[in-house]
Amino acid sequence: MILMNYIAAFFLIVLGLYTIVTKYNLVKTVIGLSIMDYGVNLLIVSIGFNPGGTAPIFTFSELNPSSFFVDPIPQALTLTSIVIGACVTAMSLSLVMKIYEQYGTMDTREVRRLRG
Amino acid sequence: MSMLSYQHFPIYAIMLYFLGAFLIVLFGKNKIARHCLALLSVTGSLALLVSLVPRVMTGGEIITYWMGNRAYSGGYAIGIALEVDALSLFFALLVAVAVFVSGVYSIRYMEHDDNIPQYYTLFLMLAGGVMGLVLSGDLFNMFIMVEILTFAAVALTAFRNTARGALEAAFKYLVVGSIGSTCILAGTIMLYAQVHTLNFAQLSGLIPGHIHGATRVAFALLFVGFSTKAFLVPFHPLAADAHGAAPASVSVLISGVLTKSGIYGIIRLVYFLFQTMNLRPIQFMLVFVGSVSMFVCVTMALAQHDFKRLLAFHSISQIGYVLTAVGLSTALGISAGLYHAMNHTIFKGLLFLAAGAVLHETGTTDLDRLGGLSKRMPHTTVLFLIGAASISGIPPFNGFASKWLIYQAAYLRAVETGNIGYLLVTIIALVTSTLTLASFVKVSQSVFFGRLPDEFKDVKEVPFGMRLAMSLFAILCVLTGLLPELVTKVLTGPAAQAVLNPVRYIAAARGIEVPAETAALPQAVGAWSPINWLLLLGISLFAITLVALLGKYDRVSENASGEKIPAKYDLFFSGEKSVYSQVGGGDLFWGFKHNWRHYFSFMHDLHSGVVNDYALWAVVALALAIAFLQIVL
Repeated sequence: MILMNYIAAFFLIVLGLYTIVTKYNLVKTVIGLSIMDYGVNLLIVSIGFNPGGTAPIFTFSELNPSSFFVDPIPQALTLTSIVIGACVTAMSLSLVMKIYEQYGTMDTREVRRLRG
Repeated sequence: MSMLSYQHFPIYAIMLYFLGAFLIVLFGKNKIARHCLALLSVTGSLALLVSLVPRVMTGGEIITYWMGNRAYSGGYAIGIALEVDALSLFFALLVAVAVFVSGVYSIRYMEHDDNIPQYYTLFLMLAGGVMGLVLSGDLFNMFIMVEILTFAAVALTAFRNTARGALEAAFKYLVVGSIGSTCILAGTIMLYAQVHTLNFAQLSGLIPGHIHGATRVAFALLFVGFSTKAFLVPFHPLAADAHGAAPASVSVLISGVLTKSGIYGIIRLVYFLFQTMNLRPIQFMLVFVGSVSMFVCVTMALAQHDFKRLLAFHSISQIGYVLTAVGLSTALGISAGLYHAMNHTIFKGLLFLAAGAVLHETGTTDLDRLGGLSKRMPHTTVLFLIGAASISGIPPFNGFASKWLIYQAAYLRAVETGNIGYLLVTIIALVTSTLTLASFVKVSQSVFFGRLPDEFKDVKEVPFGMRLAMSLFAILCVLTGLLPELVTKVLTGPAAQAVLNPVRYIAAARGIEVPAETAALPQAVGAWSPINWLLLLGISLFAITLVALLGKYDRVSENASGEKIPAKYDLFFSGEKSVYSQVGGGDLFWGFKHNWRHYFSFMHDLHSGVVNDYALWAVVALALAIAFLQIVL
């Protein structure tokens, strides 16, 4: 079951990289970055998953050796990572807007005043 | 533990930057409040870290600080830790010094820009990000700090968004930088999956016993991730683009501080987390990447026509030296590498500030348009020449001291192992240094000497505040060059010992103190006395001067159509009549460039400026790293 998650996660990461490398539209590049982020997020939650575990919400008095729950740390990491992913998207889209204003194009092959 | 106890100083040093950043958002509209807040946070942070030097550097103490006082429990590090050993403090001091000087410089340099409060906020966020990275003892927190510093650097690159290429540079940096950050995150989580901890010391204790397929992939991911932050080949075009567009005070941070965070990450990765530096292939990987970076970037620099872009390529070339020396995996090599890392921050900072001064007064950094500024900006010229001499490795400035150690470390390694490859590395390092000197002869000639173009007739010297900042760096250049013994004893020596004793770092997190196994401390000047070589240099310089004085050359020469032109470049055409050779500043080494034209045009075409290509390079680098590590580790 969980193997499927790992496969999907790496598929998403590779798909994201593929999009960034092969698509010449600036917005598609940003989409590629997002897909890659989603892949990593899926990977993180999958790593913390214990089959049959409950949600990791306990107080100290409720905690006993028989309680079985999923690992809470990866979930916290995923939340952080999602926030960062949103920031990347927001920032890159704002840059894309400004680039479009200045260059009048969304084609990465034409946004290359700096080269060599 | 009282609030003023020294254990709190590392977290204060980080928080001062962030606090400054947030307070400037609130009160930054007022000019005086803004400057006070910025200076308070940069000075306070520097002072706190300097006060730790006696304990951590000479005393050998490792400060472990648990946030919220949640230390080890049940054999697992649950809380978030800051762990400051000599290596962390060494890099933290570099950061604090560079940020302090750049902050002083910013006050006058940025005064004509809009949105200055936002500038300071981002500036301090960048500083805080790097500071947090080098002082953190937690792998995930390192990732968070990497993201903070990447965002701040991207935003600052695009800060002057009307400047040519600023937005484009920021976008490219964001895309490839994000790929790098994602690599770091993926690597972190793959390590977590193996040993279920994020504490760096505990990871370092557990991972070396858990090396298999998944951890190897994690190694490759982390290595590539930190390489993007250090702008090593193949990520160097991003640095060039970003530096060209960013304000000079930010370039100081990107080159002096941000690249160091990448180097710091790589050192922690190979010496602590995986402890694989005793393996030949890993040494090879670091030395190879370092040597390629140093050579490729110096040749790229030779072909540049923009002052700051040229400096950016040199910056990465020098980072190549650092990585090569660190990859030698000897006490001398590590100490030399760290020494060079420090010098790089200082002299590169000075050079970028000088470039910023030129931009501030003339409004351009185009080498073909500038010229003769020494008549109008004498102080800047002298300061620039100090920086140029340092980076080119001319005694008695600091670049000489560290490069001298690097040559020796590489050569001694060749003798020790009988490996011809290290000999080659020594030669590449020497050739790179020569090319660096050549490149800086070109820059000084095109910017500061020769004829002063009419459009810059009424250029003035930069304000005192900016000269003060440059002078601080220049003084450091001379001091660290003249006092290598002291530097080795107080700064690089203890840091190198920390690198060679990962066990102390790991044990300190559990509150256990392990005595240091002191490796033979490298001598400050290494095995060879530089005095004799200095004499040799003096004699050859005297001979050259004599020859130059005996020869005659016209102050004015003619070009093809017979009109008189000033003899700006005649100095470089020995003996020949320069009738048909009106050479622009960018083409001073036309003969060399002509012979190498295939290489240069190949490189020029390769650096196409298309973001897809750079992303492809990142993917290829990642694939190569994964494949290489799977085979050899």
